[in-house]
Amino acid sequence: MTPPAPSKRPFGLGTFVLMMVGIMIVGGLAGGGAAVFGDQPGPLGTALTVGMIALAMAVAFAACIWWWRGIDEAAREAHKWAWWWGGSSGMALGAILVLTLSLRDEDVSVLGIEGGAADLVSGGVLAILLFQMAGYAIAWAVWWLKHR
Amino acid sequence: MNNRLKVLRAERDWSQADLAHALGVSRQTVNALETGRYDPSLPLAFKIARVFGQPIEAIFTED
Repeated sequence: MTPPAPSKRPFGLGTFVLMMVGIMIVGGLAGGGAAVFGDQPGPLGTALTVGMIALAMAVAFAACIWWWRGIDEAAREAHKWAWWWGGSSGMALGAILVLTLSLRDEDVSVLGIEGGAADLVSGGVLAILLFQMAGYAIAWAVWWLKHR
Repeated sequence: MNNRLKVLRAERDWSQADLAHALGVSRQTVNALETGRYDPSLPLAFKIARVFGQPIEAIFTED
């Protein structure tokens, strides 16, 4: 018996990888632009920095919306589950690290973080994001392994 | 829930990829459905019933 006519295929891993590469390119360009234009003094420099970063975020968000609409329901369920459990757990672990370092006023130069307040803030944010992403990735893999 | 997806697919000699293409989902989703580890949404359940030409209750049963 011949298979029925195919429906629209959902996005696969290849599309996800291409999208991530595209987002990284846009992010890199925006970061470069923010570094260049951010040297402008006063409110103009601030506005240009905010504008470049906001543009990159908007492009990343638009890409995520396009990609979300193209994946099937099981893939969405996996990402929702992973984001909640993995992302929350990862963020909690990252927060433990960052809060411990800040509350105890530890010497963070051993972690390679040196500089003023801005560097410390961005270092803390990136640390928590890193843990969150790691937790998310692990939870996503666990969901698919459990649903094979 | 239990389902007869694998049996119905085998009766028609379709691969998981064939069924996935027909339903507009990934092959991994079809595999998760067949092993009973993922329950479809209502729209997808109706689509499955339409593809196999059977009522939903004939394909899916409660544990």
